[in-house]
Amino acid sequence: MTMRRRNLTVTACVAFGSLLAGVPYVSAEDVAPRDWLNRMASAVQTTNYEGTVIRLQNGKVEALKVVHVITDGVIREKVLVQEGNGLEIIRNGNEVQCILPDKKSVLVEEWNDQSNLFSTLPASDIRFGNEYDVSIVRHGRVAGRKAILLAIRPHDGYRFGHRVWLDIVTGFPLQTTLIDDAGDTIEQVKFADISLDEEIHASALAPSISTENFRWITQPRRTITAAVESTWNAANLPNGFRVVSIHEEKLSGRAVPVMHILYSDGLANVSVFIEPANSNKIARRSRVGASNSFSVETDGYQITAVGEVPAATVEQIATSMQPQ
Amino acid sequence: MNDAIRMQISAFVDGELPHNEAELLLRRMCQDRELRQQAAEYLAMGRVMRGEHSIAGMKYLRERVAAVLDDTTLLQEDPVVAESDRPRFLRPLAGVAIAATVALAAIFGLRQMTAMPDIDPLQEGGAIAEAGDGRSYTVPDQDDGQLRDYYLSHTADSSYFGASSINARLVTLQLREDMDIESDVSEPQVDDEEAAPAESIDMQTP
Repeated sequence: MTMRRRNLTVTACVAFGSLLAGVPYVSAEDVAPRDWLNRMASAVQTTNYEGTVIRLQNGKVEALKVVHVITDGVIREKVLVQEGNGLEIIRNGNEVQCILPDKKSVLVEEWNDQSNLFSTLPASDIRFGNEYDVSIVRHGRVAGRKAILLAIRPHDGYRFGHRVWLDIVTGFPLQTTLIDDAGDTIEQVKFADISLDEEIHASALAPSISTENFRWITQPRRTITAAVESTWNAANLPNGFRVVSIHEEKLSGRAVPVMHILYSDGLANVSVFIEPANSNKIARRSRVGASNSFSVETDGYQITAVGEVPAATVEQIATSMQPQ
Repeated sequence: MNDAIRMQISAFVDGELPHNEAELLLRRMCQDRELRQQAAEYLAMGRVMRGEHSIAGMKYLRERVAAVLDDTTLLQEDPVVAESDRPRFLRPLAGVAIAATVALAAIFGLRQMTAMPDIDPLQEGGAIAEAGDGRSYTVPDQDDGQLRDYYLSHTADSSYFGASSINARLVTLQLREDMDIESDVSEPQVDDEEAAPAESIDMQTP
């Protein structure tokens, strides 16, 4: 298929899908890259879906069965890990049950936010704007559906890039990839198959195993104080990052609240935690998936920066924190 | 060979090429040694980077091409791509559709994590890993409760700002999964509907 024929096919697909959806037809080529992000943001908040997700991270390939339904703004979701211990996550509104078959336990916790497993990248205004370029790379197929590849490329090495395959018809993200500054993939989440906006029976959201005789454990809710004035600031913050939240938080095992400052460039977030230094030293550097952390002691305080950014970014932010 | 055909081959290897295009590509491969070599390189790269002996498309490709050519040598192991060849294919800027195979490059790198004891004087507990830049990192384990709390708190707060990534959410789940719930939860509660502390207040979404 030539590129021209491919584009015509994609255009026809979008037109047909738009007719079915009862929305005005706009060709894929007419949609600006940042408008694709808007479409995506809207799609993840309104789309019901069911499918199989392949996740690549930390040298592991993991398959997840996912069912996601939104009814009157209430998210109901089920995630079933296909390998290993068969972890199962059932979400009903804000309450989340993590079923651990191997431990015969159910962990109940609250996600008092509106995010969901696959909602995630920001709306069109990567809000502060100038740290990334957003462009359409090409068309292709993911999970058997026509898709368009969107590249979000950072201007410097202080943040990761993203590649997002969006469903042509709905704008739903079918595949997301996190890219480091060398152009290599850090993590990838990809639908191997997916049904979008088809009727999903309530039974699909029920636990797949009986939890009778399981131990039910309720996780304490996070305790957060109101916003506070920070007595700390970053003297050498990478371009584009700004403070978006400052509050104190009571973490388990701490006698005093920890100050939590959240920086964002609109896409990447970095948290800085500040608490009095004690004998419980933590790792100077750590990494979980795409998240890096760096910890340093300054003026009797332990300062730890954590975020889905390169190691150099958390290190620069942590080491530049100064009391005012 | 142009970028378009490379994209097709890469999409085929990644299992993303439509069936009719895959059939067409296979026919071309049967007649074009360079195309076969290119596909074999992608496949071998994927296998090497993933550390597995097979990946999607490999068996199908071999069988189809071997059947058409009646060439059983194609059913043998793929050649391993020389190290010096990799960057050419691993760069997205080359315009080659290699999403899945590039992902595997990172995975391969992570698999090379090597224990490096006593690198970090502050390190306590957790497995030490080495990244490509030569630095060592700690992968938090159950003993890194403080660090784990930071990760979880960061992920929770990030979600308020619309930028909590899919992967961050999954990392949270992973950390939750890795918790030793026996030791982390002091007061097991059965059917407790009043578990949340009264002083808790919800963070307001900006």
